[in-house]
Amino acid sequence: MVLVLLPSLLATEAGGRNRFELDASSVGDALRALPVANLVLDERGVLRPLVNVYVDGVDARDRDGLDTSLTGAEEIRLVAAIAGG
Amino acid sequence: MSVLVLVGTRKGLFLLESDGDRRDWSLAGPFLTGWAVFHAVIDPRDRALHAATNNDVYGATVHRSSDRGETWARAEELGLPEDTGLSLEKTWHVEPGRPGEDGRLWLGAAPGALFRTDDGGSTWQPVDGIVRHETRHRWHPGAGGMCCHSIALDPDEPARMYVGISAAGVFRSDDGGETFVPANRGTAADFLPDPSPELGQCVHKLLVHPARPERLWQQNHCGVYRSDDRGESWERLDGNGLPSGFGFPLALDHRDPDAAFVVPEESAENRLTPNRRLGVYRTRDLGGSWELLTEGLPEPAFGAVMREGFASDRLDPAGVYLGTQSGSLFVSPDAGETWLEAASQLPPILSVEASAWS
Repeated sequence: MVLVLLPSLLATEAGGRNRFELDASSVGDALRALPVANLVLDERGVLRPLVNVYVDGVDARDRDGLDTSLTGAEEIRLVAAIAGG
Repeated sequence: MSVLVLVGTRKGLFLLESDGDRRDWSLAGPFLTGWAVFHAVIDPRDRALHAATNNDVYGATVHRSSDRGETWARAEELGLPEDTGLSLEKTWHVEPGRPGEDGRLWLGAAPGALFRTDDGGSTWQPVDGIVRHETRHRWHPGAGGMCCHSIALDPDEPARMYVGISAAGVFRSDDGGETFVPANRGTAADFLPDPSPELGQCVHKLLVHPARPERLWQQNHCGVYRSDDRGESWERLDGNGLPSGFGFPLALDHRDPDAAFVVPEESAENRLTPNRRLGVYRTRDLGGSWELLTEGLPEPAFGAVMREGFASDRLDPAGVYLGTQSGSLFVSPDAGETWLEAASQLPPILSVEASAWS
């Protein structure tokens, strides 16, 4: 099981949960299984540009993005980029 | 009698409640924190709240609440087809369907998009008549994006509706939203090589009068207009008491089809309140003349009013509601004669809607 940790706004949208344990073989699989998938991914299934995904502390974009493979023991942390006002 | 005003801000939604006098207001919120609420409305059919919500990081969506904001559900399905080459940018306006059209609502969005739901807001289908309109290649975005910000339903004729898109213009459907035709004859587009084109006008707000639905009013980038023939032709109404034809918001008096309210800005180049005051201008003679209403409004004041930041209720006399970018909500319980500040120091106000019931 991978552990996915959500920031506060996404946790609110997920009914108050900020931790999800999921079976997933890739980062994309894990994100698509979340109840907030359509906030993290756009209508094409592409990771929104200001959403950062860290897999055990490494930016998934520096690996294979949504195709980054998982062994099943990772911690995935979603972090909103510094943006907005 | 209860009156509920939905105030959408850059930092969530606020609810203000009063009785029929509309002089003492209680404030609740914020709800939907973290979301910029471009527009929020009460569905008069079931009193559910619907909000067009946007976030810099998480994109554009629509929220709904059936318990007056205590809990919210988000749209599960909302997006543009891949073969259009378009991606959803912002949600702008939610319009409940007519009585009897259970579960149906319309959503205006950018880029130049219209959606429809028939399940109360869970899943939204793009409306091909707008999304794939044959003239789309001639549309251009305004400063706020190519937003579909106005959706006006003919209350008497179920097949007829209108949308306003910046800067594509006004479009009318006579077949329930299947197809749309441009309805801009007589409106100006001073920023285009042809100042009177078939389409491409920058409509800022479009409303249909509920008691006389063949009559439309619009505040445009290039003037204030009225149509008495369902948008077939438009008559320009500024230059007769208005300090400027430029502005964004527009409100109507449901009891008086000859009346309208606007809040002009100095010009397209200088988007400030004219003459250093926040002034509401009212016509009661079809736009033949305009009078400045200021009693209770601040001066000097430079608070801008967004296109959705102006509303009226259905009481007698009509209440008029004005929200500013500087976070004040002004209420007139007497059709604009006098104003009171019902709330201040809110986040920048993007939208105002009012609903009343006994």
